Amino acid sequence: MTMATLDSKKSSLSSNTLPLVALVGNPNTGKSTLFNRLTGLRQHIANYPGVTVEKKSGLLRIGHQDLDLLDLPGCYNLTAVSRDERVVMDVLGGRHGLRRPDLLVFVVDASNLKRNLLLASQCAELGIPAIMALNQCDAAKRNGIHIDTVLLAKQFGIPVVETVATRGRGVDDLKSAIVNALCNPSFLPRIQWPECIAKGCQVLQTGVKDLGGDGVTQAEALRVLFDNDSVFTCGISDKICLKKMVDAAHQDIRGLGLSPGSAEAVLHYRHLESLLDGVVTTSGSVARSHESIDAILLHRVWGTLIFFVVMYVVFQSLYSWAGPLMDLIDTVTGMAQGFLSPLLENMPVLQSLICGGIISGVGGVLIFLPQILILFFFISLLEDTGYMARAAFLVDKLFSWCGLNGRSFVPLLSSYACAIPGVMAARTLSDPKARLTTILMAPFMSCSARLPVYILLIGTFIEPRYGAFAAGWALFAMHFIGLALALPLAWLLNTFFLKIKPQPFILEMPDYRVPTLRNIFHRMWERGREFVLRAGTVILAFSIIIWCLLYFPRNPSVAEKVRADFSAPSASALSNNALEHRIESAYIEQSYLGRFGKAVQPVFEPAGFDWKITVGVLSSFPAREVIIATMGIIYNLGADVDEGSEDLRTILQNEKWTSGPRVGQPVYTLPVVIGIMVFFALCMQCGATVAIIARELDWRWATFSFFGMTTLAWISAVVIYQIGKLF
Amino acid sequence: MSGTLDGLQVGESAEIIDISSDCTRAGRMSTLGFIPGRRVTVTRLAPLGDPISVEIDGQEISLRRAEASLIKVK
Repeated sequence: MTMATLDSKKSSLSSNTLPLVALVGNPNTGKSTLFNRLTGLRQHIANYPGVTVEKKSGLLRIGHQDLDLLDLPGCYNLTAVSRDERVVMDVLGGRHGLRRPDLLVFVVDASNLKRNLLLASQCAELGIPAIMALNQCDAAKRNGIHIDTVLLAKQFGIPVVETVATRGRGVDDLKSAIVNALCNPSFLPRIQWPECIAKGCQVLQTGVKDLGGDGVTQAEALRVLFDNDSVFTCGISDKICLKKMVDAAHQDIRGLGLSPGSAEAVLHYRHLESLLDGVVTTSGSVARSHESIDAILLHRVWGTLIFFVVMYVVFQSLYSWAGPLMDLIDTVTGMAQGFLSPLLENMPVLQSLICGGIISGVGGVLIFLPQILILFFFISLLEDTGYMARAAFLVDKLFSWCGLNGRSFVPLLSSYACAIPGVMAARTLSDPKARLTTILMAPFMSCSARLPVYILLIGTFIEPRYGAFAAGWALFAMHFIGLALALPLAWLLNTFFLKIKPQPFILEMPDYRVPTLRNIFHRMWERGREFVLRAGTVILAFSIIIWCLLYFPRNPSVAEKVRADFSAPSASALSNNALEHRIESAYIEQSYLGRFGKAVQPVFEPAGFDWKITVGVLSSFPAREVIIATMGIIYNLGADVDEGSEDLRTILQNEKWTSGPRVGQPVYTLPVVIGIMVFFALCMQCGATVAIIARELDWRWATFSFFGMTTLAWISAVVIYQIGKLF
Repeated sequence: MSGTLDGLQVGESAEIIDISSDCTRAGRMSTLGFIPGRRVTVTRLAPLGDPISVEIDGQEISLRRAEASLIKVK
């Protein structure tokens, strides 16, 4: 018995936890659908320790027996290059304190048996008991592919269950096969390596031990041997010595007439071809079901046209359909505030905390849900039908030059509605480098929360002076500037700073399939829940902190002073409402954030911002749409103004410097106005985006993104103002 | 006549001889079926001419010209 099997026996016997079953397979095999079928809603999503690879696990209940089911990331081989693949290798090897599965369920696409089984053939080295779920049998049969399941099971020595995960067929059979296999384990046949490779592994295994590394199994030694820049370093620091051993083995492989890069696949395919002899028969010429559809959908003209129509629908639905739902959430939030506010009349601090901090914070989290759900509805639909891969194929060239790829299109497009769903959508990118870059670029796309600022400023300063045509162009330019800067920035980042190696952009064009609503809703539920539970808590915390900074210290003398000023016999009479607005304005000026705004105003001086603009800008860091309400308070109009308010527009137009060198001159000159808009276009004024980036990548990247964008926004505003001053 | 995969016209097919690349990329491509001895047919180009789509061993796979140029064919 090998070490590996001993290990797996030990782990299943020693622990009194539930047996661990892992689903392993290529992407696009229906693995996750099968996982959902097996676990229902008894799922748990977390990250693997130390990496941002999603760990999906769930409880599998078969009769009276409970099992832990793990859905490993989809991968084509064990090449431990990307983080996803490394996680698969770490789990299967039981490294880094991860539990080694007691049983592997290989989910295999019946239409492409040989390629799917390559992963299984590699995993055979690990000596973990296995069974096979032959999925999408119906599609294979329709395409004229017939598989002799009995012979397949005999040849591979493990039970094979036919399944159609989308319809739930074969799921019960699979469950009983899992229970049986845990009692009577069977193993995949291991490949017979040529002498020199087997020897190379042994040399590596003893070599690693001599160098003081962790012990490596043969499966792990093979990874070191075949993956040039494998992240699997077996815990030794002497890379040169390791490389010498690998180079010697590569020399031997070349002696066999194979090249080291493709030798592993070539040998596995040979091994599989002999095992699969007689298993797969194709009747006549295999009907390629997607051929005729592709002729249209990937057509130079029609394909491009259809692509833009599809993307237009996705964007419109995010931008428009989500609107009523978002308004509803706003209304409910307002109603909750209206209901609770009078009840807490006697406790003004608590009243403001609950209504202004907590309820608006919760509302601020829920407000993103409609767009997230709608976007993931479309993403699931496009992925499940097989169109997403085609869409990526069509537009890849637009993005490849700057280190992104065709799959970046949907995340970036959705970010024009809101960066939150956009950043989450970047999960569809399997290349970690392209995913990272896409996430960092997403907040540059001009989201709908920036629109009120543009409308207010363009409507107040550009349209009256330069006409509707100029206003239209200004609005377009503001939407374009983020993209125009983001792509070159992505190029810079990828060319000079990111040390991660890019992966080849090789896409499998899956067969077209009819999606199931069940699957689509499951995905929406999963993403929505995750957003609320994980990012939502952080967003709520931000909201409460900002409330504190705007509320405290609330010295009653501030209000008394305002009242005294306006009750003086000489003062002009003021309505009660206007007085309240003055008091609110005085409080905000005295708040920590207001004081901070005054203190840092010199920083924004080179951009021509006065302290009021500075406080407005600062208060909109948690959420940029807040600027309008803050402006309303600062300019004594109360928080209820919107971007169309004539009062606010008149005040802005007449606002003059009251001190300093420009005293008496208007504050909002054209360079200042453009500077503010560009500042809003480029600045990361969204706590929710920072939180979601931290969630999807980590806090370091979130911090980098925040400071990077803020600096860039500041520089741009300063440059615009300074150049504008010259004219 | 030998060349690289990106030199083929749409509709043309050829036999793969070798992948001239570092182990990682060659490993990934060979896993997806680009192994010496197999026939590969270029089925279409993306509207902007890159990436290209090829058929190999009954499956349709798209890859960029940069990667296709690493695959030697005859």
